[in-house]
Amino acid sequence: MCAPAIVFFLVFAYGPMPGAWIAFTNFNYADGIFGSPFVGMRNFEFLIKSGQLWLLTKNTILYNLVFIVLGNILQIALAIMLNEIRSKYFKKVSQTIMFLPYFISVVLVGVIAFNLLNYDTGAVNALIVQAGGDPIKIYSEAGLWPFIIVIAQLWQSTGYGSIVYFAAIMGIDNSLFEAAAIDGASAWQRIRYMILPNLKPTFIILLLFSLGGIMRGNFGLFWNLIGNNAALFQTTDIIETAVYRMIVSQNNFTASTAVGLYQSLFGFALVLFVNWVVRKINSDYALF
Amino acid sequence: MKRRQFIQAGALSLAAVAGAGALVSCTSSGGGNKSGGPTKITMLVLGDKPTNGRYQAMLEKLNPRLTEQANVTLDFFFVEWADWQTQYNVQLLAGDSSIDLISTATDWLFAWENAKKGAFLPLTEEMLQKNAPKTWAQVNSKGHWDLCKLDGKIYFAPEDNYTQWTNHGFFYRGDWATAAGIPNGTITKDEQLTTYFQWVKSNKAGVYPWDVAATNDSALTSYLQGHTGNQTIQQVSASSYYPFQTTEFDPYSITSWYMEGDDLVQAANQAKKWNDIGVWREDALNYSGDTRSEFFAGKSGADQHHTQTFVGAIWSGMTTKQPGSDPKMYWFGQENHNIFRDIKTHGAMAVSANSKNPEKALQFYDLIRNDKTDYMLLSYGIEGTDYVLTSAGKLDYPAGYDSSKDGLGTDFWAGRMDEFEPVRATDDPDKDAVYSKLDSIAKDYPYSTLFFNKDAIDPTLAAIGGVLAQYVPQLEFGKFGDPAKAITEMRGKLAAAGWADAVKSLQADMDKWAKAKGLK
Amino acid sequence: MSNAIDAAGAKMPRPSAPARGLRKGKNSARKVKLGEGEVVLRVISYISVSLFAIFCAVPFMMIISASFSTESEILRTGFGLFPKGFTLTAYEYILASPRQIVGAYVVTMVMTVLGVGVGLFVIAMTGYALQRQDFVLRNAISFFIYFTTLFSAGLAPTYIWVVRVLGLRGNYLAVWLQLLLTPWLIILMKNFARSIPYEVIESGKVDGAGDFRIFLRLVLPMLKPALATIGLFIALGYWNEWYLSSLYLGSTVEFKPLQYYLYNIINTANALRGSVAGANVSLADLPSNTLKMASAVLATGPIVLLYPFVQRYFVTGITVGAVKG
Repeated sequence: MCAPAIVFFLVFAYGPMPGAWIAFTNFNYADGIFGSPFVGMRNFEFLIKSGQLWLLTKNTILYNLVFIVLGNILQIALAIMLNEIRSKYFKKVSQTIMFLPYFISVVLVGVIAFNLLNYDTGAVNALIVQAGGDPIKIYSEAGLWPFIIVIAQLWQSTGYGSIVYFAAIMGIDNSLFEAAAIDGASAWQRIRYMILPNLKPTFIILLLFSLGGIMRGNFGLFWNLIGNNAALFQTTDIIETAVYRMIVSQNNFTASTAVGLYQSLFGFALVLFVNWVVRKINSDYALF
Repeated sequence: MKRRQFIQAGALSLAAVAGAGALVSCTSSGGGNKSGGPTKITMLVLGDKPTNGRYQAMLEKLNPRLTEQANVTLDFFFVEWADWQTQYNVQLLAGDSSIDLISTATDWLFAWENAKKGAFLPLTEEMLQKNAPKTWAQVNSKGHWDLCKLDGKIYFAPEDNYTQWTNHGFFYRGDWATAAGIPNGTITKDEQLTTYFQWVKSNKAGVYPWDVAATNDSALTSYLQGHTGNQTIQQVSASSYYPFQTTEFDPYSITSWYMEGDDLVQAANQAKKWNDIGVWREDALNYSGDTRSEFFAGKSGADQHHTQTFVGAIWSGMTTKQPGSDPKMYWFGQENHNIFRDIKTHGAMAVSANSKNPEKALQFYDLIRNDKTDYMLLSYGIEGTDYVLTSAGKLDYPAGYDSSKDGLGTDFWAGRMDEFEPVRATDDPDKDAVYSKLDSIAKDYPYSTLFFNKDAIDPTLAAIGGVLAQYVPQLEFGKFGDPAKAITEMRGKLAAAGWADAVKSLQADMDKWAKAKGLK
Repeated sequence: MSNAIDAAGAKMPRPSAPARGLRKGKNSARKVKLGEGEVVLRVISYISVSLFAIFCAVPFMMIISASFSTESEILRTGFGLFPKGFTLTAYEYILASPRQIVGAYVVTMVMTVLGVGVGLFVIAMTGYALQRQDFVLRNAISFFIYFTTLFSAGLAPTYIWVVRVLGLRGNYLAVWLQLLLTPWLIILMKNFARSIPYEVIESGKVDGAGDFRIFLRLVLPMLKPALATIGLFIALGYWNEWYLSSLYLGSTVEFKPLQYYLYNIINTANALRGSVAGANVSLADLPSNTLKMASAVLATGPIVLLYPFVQRYFVTGITVGAVKG
């Protein structure tokens, strides 16, 4: 019964994997991946030479951690609150609206952000001025951007992500809730002792999946919000955007594959560790 | 229940889609030479694939001619603009044997790197003489095949018989320049720009002196090119910058204004002054609007691009949309004649290494490059529908023609010929004067045949690019409070990234080349 | 009180079958009197959800209003919540040659429908099989599938593989196939399927049915909310996809998938402006801001209708979801 899935992954995921060897070569079209001359770790050097490796790694991981933790908390909270809504119509409409951000291309997100935040004509500054304050040069303040980016990311993905949790809550047997209500359980107790524990397995699965990609950033979002504005790089540059900027002028696949390998290795090690920890606590929750 | 029907319907249509998919993918099945039928030549061009049916109509007229002349037909393969760098490169990576000709360029399409990587077929002299004799003879007469040789082999045909000037500068309004007190309303040196901008800011409310979008380092280049005699080495790029130059006094030693000397500080100071005046938006670095439209709408006092854009689009656009604005252009390096002619390989045509019909491909190229009717059809379309010729013999468009909807879109710029190119009705009437003025002061790019082996220093160049990308954007828009300090910091990081190693390697290549030419 | 809570949280045998069968399917009205905490919670919920919905909607409203605005007004004063200088020009421009966008819709819808049909089935089957405690290979296969999320070959090797080895360039299958199964959906389904009680499977075996028939006849109908959730995610994945299309389809197909078509329109201007390539193209003909906004509205429109359709499967009743058993 698992056969189709196994074949699929063999073909589409494991098949190309040996090709990652390209990261260690000086690739040329004529010789192909395995015929091209071997150059060892040379393709990995540029990240180190740029002196930014630590900053980029730190930024990428921190942003992802915030996205994961904050994102999941909000998604769970949203799912719980949606569950409390009695009006079916209200539920349907609000959930549909909350989906919309997911579909908006990141390019447009960047355009909208610029429209709201820019110094000369932005709505945010217009409000500040109306309230009597001085306009802020938002695009020059690196310190503001972690918040802005997190808000943008949460805006795009919370509605979408809350669906899983919502479906999980839907699956809890109603009779248990009724019994609890008869026994006099308060709303908070209901949430704390019945809903949250039931969401735990889902949360752990999502966590483990997210951790595997902890070193991979959301390139589209960062690129379109920040672009080439170096004033903000200190707090917003992640691996993908910096690498893209550095190798865009070299039609060079080897460097980007090398970076991908670095990101994968890191995520792999992290997941192995966390899965081991989870397995110790409750082996049913572990992914493998 | 519904789901089961769904699945059944799905299974049925799966077969249909798979069939459709196969049909669709069936389009590019090689040069299908069905015993005696014409060979199909596919040419890769950069541009969005037009959906208005015009180029297909043009092909219906062109292909019979081509069949008669060389038993070939033409089809296009479009690499579209969105994401073009990735798309162009993966297309070469695909090793697609259905593509025969590839448009390329040594300065922005990595012609040398791709040749080295084996994407292009080496063209022997015999091949060229036999299959593209006219092209061979014409390029040979100027000795330009040397410009296309790597390790002694020719890899592409240069667009060397087409005059184009793509040297950059500022477009501005002569009427405002006059009002600003600039003699003759003509800007001839970089300092006058400040005067111009200042005037616009003080006298034209709601207008940006130069509304600029995102990164554009002209604020620096304008000063640097006009005050130093540095010539940029176009073959070596790091991120989106060209960090290395030579000086006119010592053209065989590699240096850089990013790393040495005081000029960058002065340029940065000028940029800062412009920022403080308010020449551009506060958030120009993130602005992605269409600044040319704003120039046309009178909301911006200047725009930046090159000569060809000026004579082709700006002049006619401004005289129509802002009558009386007297559009003019100041070229970078105008005051010290630090201007260069376009390299001959700014456009070039290569034959794909995987092509099944290289000889026929060359025959086709020879035709469209040298036969006037074929040429006009390919580049301009069908006379009367896609263009008209005025009584003065100039190129114009039929009534109701909207280039955004009706454009031909064949994007052929790898073999244009001066003798076939019609003068356009919308061209700047002074175009010839402009060109001859430039011709009289411009220099030839000296390093066209110099090939740098960058394999060993690619990582260093990437790292250097990363450092430049951290500092130059803010320098170019004057966002640093203390530019001198920032530049010192930047230079420290460049050194740490391995600047000296890169220079050493490049200098070695330069020395080798110069010696072989007897220049050093 | 402790009884009910323990029952929910701990591993316990399922409530008896008749109780399940009496499920009415929707949130049956709770006749129990609402405590104070309940009311507070409910009020907070309504307010928070409303605020969040507004937060999600506002930028979208800006996009919609911009799509109905005049370009010059937008250039002058930026976006707003309401159209400035109401006009239909952008939509007229797009719909003047509707062939492209209609074709894009058709292609995307066909891919989505087929993808959901096939993908959901395979995912359900795999997820179910993987949670069967009596399946010896389940951990190995789970890891096998999960590992693919940790290591990916990267752009160039995958591209070479798909194009040169599989020969799928210019073929919609290159995109459709790759989006069919995702590891995280399989594992999610596995989690959902865990709540299927073993007695059900046993009863099927007693009746002499094979694994596949048990799956088809007994298990699938019990997984409705799970199927709805995962089906929705698959559909959204197909609808939103543009990256694979840009790599493997490019200009070789006549009708691009919707988001890629849109991406092309929006990005052409950016690409040209920033590069030497712009030398040869007339920049006057680039799509305006309002055009980009109109394209975005048209691309998003229909999918908005999908969720209400799917929502009715999100019902309580059959115990599906995260309750461990």
